[in-house]
Amino acid sequence: MSDEIVRIKGTKSGLQLLFAAGATYAAIEEEIRAKLKAGSGFFCRGTVMHAMEGSLPKDEMEKLRKLFHESGVIFSVTRSHIPGAAEGPGERPRRRAVKAQKRQMEAPAQAEAAVPAEATAAAQAPAADDEAVQMVVVNRTLRGGQEVRTKSSVLVCGNVNPGAQIIAGGSIDIRGTCRGLVHAGAFGNQKAFVVADHLIPTQIRIADLIARSPDDPQQIEKTARPERASIKDGQIVIEPIER
Amino acid sequence: MSEIIVITSGKGGVGKTTTTANLGMGLAMRGKNVVLIDTDTGLRNLDLLLGLENRIMYDLIDVTQGRVPYKKALVRHKKVENLFLLPTSQVKDKSAVNPEELVKLCEELRKEFDYILIDCPAGIEQGFQTAIAAADVAIVVTMPEISAVRDADKIIGELGRADKENIKLIVNRIRLQMVESGDMLDMNDINDILSIDCIGQVPDDKMVITSTNRGEPCITMDKSTAGQAYRNIVGRLLGEKVPFMTFPKEGFFSRLKHVFGM
Repeated sequence: MSDEIVRIKGTKSGLQLLFAAGATYAAIEEEIRAKLKAGSGFFCRGTVMHAMEGSLPKDEMEKLRKLFHESGVIFSVTRSHIPGAAEGPGERPRRRAVKAQKRQMEAPAQAEAAVPAEATAAAQAPAADDEAVQMVVVNRTLRGGQEVRTKSSVLVCGNVNPGAQIIAGGSIDIRGTCRGLVHAGAFGNQKAFVVADHLIPTQIRIADLIARSPDDPQQIEKTARPERASIKDGQIVIEPIER
Repeated sequence: MSEIIVITSGKGGVGKTTTTANLGMGLAMRGKNVVLIDTDTGLRNLDLLLGLENRIMYDLIDVTQGRVPYKKALVRHKKVENLFLLPTSQVKDKSAVNPEELVKLCEELRKEFDYILIDCPAGIEQGFQTAIAAADVAIVVTMPEISAVRDADKIIGELGRADKENIKLIVNRIRLQMVESGDMLDMNDINDILSIDCIGQVPDDKMVITSTNRGEPCITMDKSTAGQAYRNIVGRLLGEKVPFMTFPKEGFFSRLKHVFGM
């Protein structure tokens, strides 16, 4: 796969964009367009795409940002190698990042030039928080095969049946029985939670953690109390709540 | 006021065609003018269940494509005078009819019949979309089995998407012993998940198979428990309040257990 001009790697905080050395911007843009077109389901709205600062000139980064924005992908420029990225293939960009930092030290003028890019990233952050505060209300039962996918939180007034899916950037509240698949904090929010009157889902996912129901149906007890699933000490914990 | 009812299920083999034949027969025996439309083109069975295979001259495709008026294609039942079948083709496939054509045909039939029952093919593809296009009411048939209930749920979702809000449920082939021993989903579980109006619980009955092979729906047989259940459903469709059959083998105590969720 070394002949690819643009490579996309999955990391804990989103996706990372890596460019082959010496690639022209035109070739990069063309390939990204092709990738966006081919993987329309993969690049869902709200996906965060990281790119290394200094791997491309600033004006070209801005062009890329617009390109990703058209598909709803959030493009952010990170200063260095982001934690959690795969080590081996990430080597080359890291070296380049180190070089970039060196260059900054040598030429402070360039470091200043990098500030606006950081500022845009900071401006994006509160916007993303606002989206988490927003809520999508689903005023019906979600049946098998139906899916809700949103950046914000979700309130369901009805049941979530087996085979239905909710993928939310924020938290999920179900005023009914949850038997389907729920994914809260789908874009990395570890503080997201799932609440339901009866919480008996096939799978609960919060951020990057997955929990599933026991294989033995005898073990699934139908609790009469509302329950809440959240992340505690790196694990999905389900506990009864009052409401 | 005539009513167009589609009988659907998603999953195959749960008893759509049997239900269509029995309800049609039952409604006709209660004096209604009934026409049954088979939309399972290529895999038609409804004519067999009614014992009318050898009387078919034209089919649904001939009608929708304008080769013959619908009256020529209708097959009158040999015993019940006001029951008609509009069979479909065994050689064509589902793409031969489109939803608009069926809607147009049903609007014509509406003038003459009290009930138009449409037997839907399994699946959620084109054949299903065509079959439900004209319906006022949808009857979803399911079985007390996890895959059938899952598919019924999906079908109800699809019906909702097509703006069909009047949806009824029939649970077919309930095995009394298995429900009793807790090996089969019970009615509470099914109602919990599907949460739509249930108009019938039909027990599994050997006589359904013999009646299918003989070409006489079991609703005509007094001794058949399934037949009795179908007679009750017909009553409910006509607006009567018929209590649900109590399954004889389930004792008082086990029912008490269900009530208390033990």
